[in-house]
Amino acid sequence: MISPRQQFADTMLAIGQADPDLVVVVGDISHGILKPFAAACPGRYFNIGILEATMMSMGAGMAAVGLYPVLHTIAPFMLERAFEQIKLDFCYHRLHGNIVTQGSAFDYSNLGCTHHCYGDFALLKTLQGCEICFPASAVEFDRLFRQAYRNDQLTVYRLAGYDHEVALAPGDIEFGKAVKVAEGADVTLVATGPMLKVAMLARERLAANGCSVEVVYVHTIRPLDVDMIRDSVAKTRNVVVVEEHMRSGGLGDDVLRAVYATPGLRFHSVSIPDKFVTGYGSYQDLCESCGLTPEAIVSAVAAWDI
Amino acid sequence: MNHNNSLINKELRRQIVDMVVAGEDGHIPSAFSILDIITLLYREVLKFDAGNPQWQDRDYFILSKGHGCLALYANLHRHGFITDKDIAQFCKKGGILGEHPDRTKIPGVEASTGSLGHGLSFATGIALGLRIRGRNNRLFVLVGDGECHEGTVWEAANVARNQRLGNLCAFVDWNQSAMQLLPHDDMPAKWAAFGWNVQIIDGHSENEIRRAIAQVQFHGDGIPSVIVAKTVKGKGVPLIEGHGIWHHRIPDASEYATIMEALT
Repeated sequence: MISPRQQFADTMLAIGQADPDLVVVVGDISHGILKPFAAACPGRYFNIGILEATMMSMGAGMAAVGLYPVLHTIAPFMLERAFEQIKLDFCYHRLHGNIVTQGSAFDYSNLGCTHHCYGDFALLKTLQGCEICFPASAVEFDRLFRQAYRNDQLTVYRLAGYDHEVALAPGDIEFGKAVKVAEGADVTLVATGPMLKVAMLARERLAANGCSVEVVYVHTIRPLDVDMIRDSVAKTRNVVVVEEHMRSGGLGDDVLRAVYATPGLRFHSVSIPDKFVTGYGSYQDLCESCGLTPEAIVSAVAAWDI
Repeated sequence: MNHNNSLINKELRRQIVDMVVAGEDGHIPSAFSILDIITLLYREVLKFDAGNPQWQDRDYFILSKGHGCLALYANLHRHGFITDKDIAQFCKKGGILGEHPDRTKIPGVEASTGSLGHGLSFATGIALGLRIRGRNNRLFVLVGDGECHEGTVWEAANVARNQRLGNLCAFVDWNQSAMQLLPHDDMPAKWAAFGWNVQIIDGHSENEIRRAIAQVQFHGDGIPSVIVAKTVKGKGVPLIEGHGIWHHRIPDASEYATIMEALT
């Protein structure tokens, strides 16, 4: 299985050979896997240095002369340190571009809070002209990038460190559209990123208890496919949102805003609590310590006594 | 030494004061500090087409210290980018001119600045992008000396030198604002340490500004240049020269008369 990160490098190579306007700028990461791009696209690959704020402004400057920049380094350094550059130089200027972040949420589990980034949806949603997606399989990154990289928006691709391991048909992956992964009648699980795997495990366990669960997978956080979510929740009236993001400002908030008027609605968020994740261990360890588990979903649904 | 006896620059200074009085807002001394540089750029140096501000072969000018925008506005008006009506609506509802230049509203403005430390980095991206495009446009960026407190200025200086962006020429408005807070401020030595070609001039002398720009090679694969311009905040009007209350002050009727007399 190709990781989303390797697919990023492969997609850059494939598109870069065909599109002379694609420029890749990295902040001293991924230079190994991007060597084929650098060799095939001379003069359009820059390992620019460890200076994320200027990297962002430079990307906007490149966009101003009609290029399609792809900026890539570790998530918090780009999105949090350089937030004002993203806000002003890209978004206020209405300039297009692409930010591909490495290390979603707490993928860098042992590196601590300096390398975690689980408030990014909340931050980026304050920006007009900014799209957000969270590809958690290779095929998703490839499809979403090809569909969005030349549009007139700034698009942020939050590369997942772990695959959700659900086979999606390439033709079903459309930027801005959710994917109905499983049909059901009693509960809607809305999952993003690797949490799709957790949602599918919870679905199995709930099915054993006689509960029919529909799973809606969201790879594009902005623009959000509110129609599919509303249609599903109108049917089930019970929704659990599962995400590797802080509770505040995450996908859950947007889903709740979309469906709050549903009669008899019950809503639950399985997400990272609104505090720093300070522990160490594996990615899986941190998921468990934050309650991002099938058991948490099953328990929340069980409390509804469906 | 020519100490700003240009009639044009006096006229533009009067226009700036009138805009501030009418708009009831604005930074006069910051604009006067850089006016002589910007005026000479637009009169003699920059290639532009006011009727087609996005002309592909233009030179780029980015005012990174956005609060000096009145000096830019006066020149954009003089050269036909913006209208009498635009000037009259400075800081008015419905106008396009505010206290910082806005790329999304004003013809001829390349970057929306105001938050310090963005312009040189943005320009560095443009310069690199132009080179990727195989184009040879020149870029001029004007930064403030206080702005040079911002780390991003030096990030950009580092990248521009290492990427050999020789089409980039920065001006530093070295009017000693920075020194008030951080007194160890050897501006030329800092830029030299980053490997830039450095010139030091009187930023109010047309001859020195002209000569310095003529020395810049603008070689697309060369060393970027910086012209460190010794300037005076509020230059041209003794009442407001220097640092203090005039940074962001609107003259009253008596002060207005004194200022205009100095600019006659």
